[in-house]
Amino acid sequence: MKYEVPIGPIHPALKEPIMLRFTLEGERIVDVDVIASQNHRGIEWIGMNRNNPVQSIYLAERICGICNFCHPSCLVMAVEEIAGIESPERAEYIRVIQGELERIHSHLLWAGVAAHELGFDSLLHYVWVVREKVMDILELVNGNRVTKAIIMYGGVRRDIKEEHISKIKEMLEYYKQAFSKLAKLFLEDKTIKMRTREIGILPYEEAIKLATVGPTTRASGVKKDVRQDMPYFAYPDFEVKAITPDMLTGETIGDTYDRIVVRLLEVKQSIEIIEQALENMPKGDILAEPKIIKVINQIKKSEGEAVGRYEAPRGEDIHYVKLREGFEYLYAWKVRAPTYINILSWRPMLLDMQIADIPIVAASIDPCISCTNRVIVVKGTEEKILTAEELHKLSVQKTRRLRR
Amino acid sequence: MNAEEAMQMFKEAGYEAWISEREAGVKNKAKKKSLWVKVDKEKIREAVEIMIENAEEYPHFSIISASDEGDNVELNYHFTFGYGKLLEEFVISLKVSLPKNALRIKSITPIIPAAILSEREIREMVGVEFDELPDKRHMFLTKDFPDGVYPWRRDETAPKETNKLYETWKEGGK
Repeated sequence: MKYEVPIGPIHPALKEPIMLRFTLEGERIVDVDVIASQNHRGIEWIGMNRNNPVQSIYLAERICGICNFCHPSCLVMAVEEIAGIESPERAEYIRVIQGELERIHSHLLWAGVAAHELGFDSLLHYVWVVREKVMDILELVNGNRVTKAIIMYGGVRRDIKEEHISKIKEMLEYYKQAFSKLAKLFLEDKTIKMRTREIGILPYEEAIKLATVGPTTRASGVKKDVRQDMPYFAYPDFEVKAITPDMLTGETIGDTYDRIVVRLLEVKQSIEIIEQALENMPKGDILAEPKIIKVINQIKKSEGEAVGRYEAPRGEDIHYVKLREGFEYLYAWKVRAPTYINILSWRPMLLDMQIADIPIVAASIDPCISCTNRVIVVKGTEEKILTAEELHKLSVQKTRRLRR
Repeated sequence: MNAEEAMQMFKEAGYEAWISEREAGVKNKAKKKSLWVKVDKEKIREAVEIMIENAEEYPHFSIISASDEGDNVELNYHFTFGYGKLLEEFVISLKVSLPKNALRIKSITPIIPAAILSEREIREMVGVEFDELPDKRHMFLTKDFPDGVYPWRRDETAPKETNKLYETWKEGGK
């Protein structure tokens, strides 16, 4: 007999608003349907109708709290290409360092979540303690842990100073030592192996056909990494190589375990890139044009279209931008975050698996659904959707009530 | 196949194609290349099939983007080619222009399965009807979203009743 199990829109195992509807035969999953329309903040609409291009950088930062450097970078890259803005050499190096710092913190965050999904909470706490080190550096260099507001058309807004460099080097040493311990904990632990080996397999052909990106596709043996294939910023200087699990284990299966391997190796790779970047960082300016009003005017005078591509921690991020002369906002803006395309891979991964595997397999692509702006209230069989306005009103009412 | 060879391939098949470039890198300079191809709306499947047949690897589908051009809606089908080799990858964007009185095109999902989410999104955001699209539910908008309102359009079908939260901020918060 077949029956259906819905997971989400909000579920303790998947903390972001997305709904998965499973059809089961006993414990075996025979069909998966993803219902994504739980939230849409209309970010592209705001960029096309309300914000000037500089404001849109900070808007893009808020697409995802974790990848708050990737999305603005992608937008900046596309706009710079259209408007012909060049960045100073030092800025290109700082952008690389910022991007890699973000990759380290994002992969460690994911490692903690993965441990938690397996019920290994002591490991979650250990990994997140280790992650604090890079968060401290982000705060030291940028003044903020998340939404760092660092990138700008034609450069970056804050320099990496001499006193930061010694602290960053200290952090790199710390991670080099922590790496072997983390690798041992994640890759040699018997329980983790049992829960992830041969679980949620994404075969090579499926990975290519479904156009998956990032660690999800690399764990299936596809050597695809924008930093290697079509490098941007100062990445051509580093000759980054796409990481596949066979580099460590000698074989590629494409299961959840392989996705752990790829992410761990990428943390190590990021450490090496930052080291190399600090050593070779050119001196000079960090911003081509410090007067923002001039930048806005230059962009307003430009016309054309371009595609910005960036290798975010979760995979390739793409922004398509079209500018029209004299138009105040971005004429067209399309954001494609990596999870957008990666959720298609849930189906082949989850078919024939068991219910208990859903959390770790779903988490293994490192999904990032972003936050909600709507609430659905269900009363009996009736559904009512609250708008942001109504929600705001309710919130104000509650504050007033509490104040009494 | 590199970007120039791909451009040649499309030109020989009778399509208009051009390349845009951008330099990256500080010590090692590398060129980022994008190939743009103009495609008639009847030929969208044919253009995708040309790529599938002639490329060494399966085309990597990225996304479909859309822009409102007054009397037309322009769709850009973005693909990437040539991963796995240092500095070899490039973007191919197929540009299709659809008149607003006939917003219909053949779905490419039957040959590129990854395109399904994007076609569903374009359908609800711009109002383009995709023939042979197997799943026509809403992708991001809620199921009770009104018919005939398309958020990415710049004409009378664009949403009007929005922005109120923001307006109260501008007026100093009421």
